[in-house]
Amino acid sequence: MTALTVTGLHKAFGATKIIQGVELTVARHERHAVIGPNGAGKSTLFHLISGRLRADSGTVRLGERDITGMAPHDIFNAGLARSFQVTSLFPKLSVFENLRAAAMRRHGCGLAFWRRLDGYSSLRARANELLAQIGLERRRDVPAGSLAYAEQRALEIGVTIAGGAETLLLDEPTAGMSRAETERAVTLIRRVSENRTLVMIEHDLGVVFGLADRISVLAEGRVIASGLPDQVRGDPAVRTAYLGAAAEQLA
Amino acid sequence: MSITATLARPRTVAPWRALLPWVIAAVAILALPHLAPSGFGLSLLCRMGIAIVFALSFNMVLGQAGMLDFGHAVFLGLGGFLAMHALKATIGLPLPLLPLVGAVGGLVAAILAGWVAARRAGTAFAMITLGVAELVIATVHLFPSLFGGEEGVSGDRSSGPALFGHDFGPQVEAYYLIAAWTWLAALLMWLYTRTPLGRLANAVRDNPERVGFIGYDPARIRLLVFALSGLFAGIAGGLAALNDEIVSAGAMSADASGSVLLMTFIGGIGTFWGPVLGAVLITLLAVALSTVTDAWQLYSGLLFVSMVLWAPGGLSGVILAHAPLGARLGRLVPRYAAVVPGLVLAVAGVVTLAELAFRLQAMRNGARARPLLGYALDPQALAPWAAAALVCGAGIWLVRRTYPAAREAWQAAAA
Repeated sequence: MTALTVTGLHKAFGATKIIQGVELTVARHERHAVIGPNGAGKSTLFHLISGRLRADSGTVRLGERDITGMAPHDIFNAGLARSFQVTSLFPKLSVFENLRAAAMRRHGCGLAFWRRLDGYSSLRARANELLAQIGLERRRDVPAGSLAYAEQRALEIGVTIAGGAETLLLDEPTAGMSRAETERAVTLIRRVSENRTLVMIEHDLGVVFGLADRISVLAEGRVIASGLPDQVRGDPAVRTAYLGAAAEQLA
Repeated sequence: MSITATLARPRTVAPWRALLPWVIAAVAILALPHLAPSGFGLSLLCRMGIAIVFALSFNMVLGQAGMLDFGHAVFLGLGGFLAMHALKATIGLPLPLLPLVGAVGGLVAAILAGWVAARRAGTAFAMITLGVAELVIATVHLFPSLFGGEEGVSGDRSSGPALFGHDFGPQVEAYYLIAAWTWLAALLMWLYTRTPLGRLANAVRDNPERVGFIGYDPARIRLLVFALSGLFAGIAGGLAALNDEIVSAGAMSADASGSVLLMTFIGGIGTFWGPVLGAVLITLLAVALSTVTDAWQLYSGLLFVSMVLWAPGGLSGVILAHAPLGARLGRLVPRYAAVVPGLVLAVAGVVTLAELAFRLQAMRNGARARPLLGYALDPQALAPWAAAALVCGAGIWLVRRTYPAAREAWQAAAA
C-alpha cells in the first residue's frame, strides 16, 4: 500500500524549470530519503507536496486521496505534516506553547473562543510528553526565538510530529547540527517515525544510509533513481549525477 | 530576561490568583467615585473606561494577532450609531443593554470588512483596512438622514425605562454603568487570550505560514479575531454613545483610528494590560493638556515617536523589564535620576519652541497670544526663541552626558 504518490509533477519559476516531471512512490510505514545535489529541487518538491506551492501540472496523492492544489491546512488535516529547512517556529511563544499549538488540531481544538485552552487536559499532557521526547523540558517556558540553534531544530521536529500525522516530511532535519546533536536527532526521528511514513531530505549520507529503507535521487528536477540503499549506491546514473561527480573531481 | 528565561518556572498560577487583579479592579471601580466625586472627575473616568475597552479591542488585533488595523474607529463609530438609533427608537430597551447593540454593530461591520481584509496579512491587510475606513466614512457623509451629517445624531440616555428607580441621567449613574461594562468587556477579552483561538492568534502573529502546517487556516483565524475585536470596539462605541449622548462621523475618523493606535502602542502591545495604561495616560493627557495648550496633539505625537524609538515595548514593556530586578532596582535609581534634569530641560525647551510656533500662527490668524503657565510669551521677539533653543540644547547635551551611565547600570542589573 502506498502512502504517497507523486505523478508527473512540474513546477517552473518564470523560465526556470525547477521540477520537471517528478515521479515518486513511498510505501506505507517506509522511511524514504530524498537526496540530490544542491539546486536539484528537493525543497521545492516538498513545498509542492505540502501545499506551500502550487504545481504547474501533475498530481500528488496521499494514500488514495488526491491532495493536489489543496491548502496547507487541508493537507495537514488529511494526515501529512512537514518540517522546514529554515526553522519555522512561533518565536514569541514558549517552547511548551509551540508544542501545544502544534498538537491542538489532533486534540479536537477548533477555533473555540468560549473554552479554556487549559481545559483540554489531554492536550497539555501531550505537549509535556513531546517536550520530554525532544529533550527540552528544562527550556519549557523559554520563548522559541531565544533557543539555541540545535534546540530550535529539535523543536522544529517536535512541532512537526506533534499533530500525530501519519506521513511526515522532514526537510534536512539535521542540517547544521554537530555530530552528537545529529545522533540525538536521528534517534528521535527513528523513534517518532515508528509505524509512520517518513520522507526526509538529507545531505548527511551517514544519516541517509543509517535511517532510510529506500532512497530516491533527485537531479535537475527529476527522480533519476529510486530503490533500496544498495541499489541506489551502485546506480551508475546516480554516480554520475551526484555521488560520482564529487568522486570524479577528487580523482 | 535571560535569568528568568533559563529557569523552568511553573507557568500556571492558581485560578484565584489570576483573578485577583479583577477583584482589585472591581473594588477600585466602586471606590473611585468617592475619591473623585466631581462631575469633571467622573466624566474623565468614563472617557478612560471607553478608551480602555477600545484600546484593548485594538490590541486583540495588533498586539495579539499581528494585524495593523488603520480603521479600527469605524467599528466604534458604527457601533455607536447603531446604539444611538436604538436609544432614540425608544423600543423600551433598558439602557444597560445598549452597549450590546453597539457590539452587534461593531461585529457585523468587522465581519464585512474582515471578509475582504483578513484574507491578507501584513501591509496588504493594513492598506485594505485604511481603504475600507475611507469608504465607510465617505458613505456616512452620503446619508445624513442616518448619520446626522456634520452634527451627528444625538439622544437622551435617560429617555429609556428606569431600572430600579435609576434613569442613568446623573453622571455618577452613567459612570457605574460604563465602569461595569469596561470591567466585563476587559475580563472577557482577557479570558479570550486563554482560549484556543486566542493562542492561535498569537501563532498567526508570530508565523502565519507555519499555522497552515499545524492544521489551521490563518485567514480564518484573522477573520474571527477581527470580528471579535470589532465586537468589543462596538461595545466601546455603545458606551461612548450613552456617555456623550451624541455620535458623529468624527468618532470613526482617521484621527480616532490613529489615536487608538497611539494609546495602545504607548501602553505597550506586548502585554494584555499595556493598552489599559496607554488608554488611561492618553485620555488624561488629552483632557489635562487640551485645557492649557492647543498643541497637545503634537505632544502625544512626540511621546508616541519617542516610545517607538526608545521603548518599543511601551510603558508595560519598560515595567516588565524592571519588575524582575527586585532589590537591584535600588542601584538603578541614582543613575536614572541623573538623567532627569537634562530630560526636563530638553522637554521644557521643546515645549516652549512648540508653544512659540503655535502662538506665532495664532497671532497671524488675529488671535491674542495665550500666556503659557501664567507667563506671557511674545513669539515675535527673538529672545524667547533663543532662550528655548538654548535650554533645549543644554538639556540634550546633559542627557547625552548622563545617559550612557544609566544604560550601563541597567545592563549590569539585567545581566
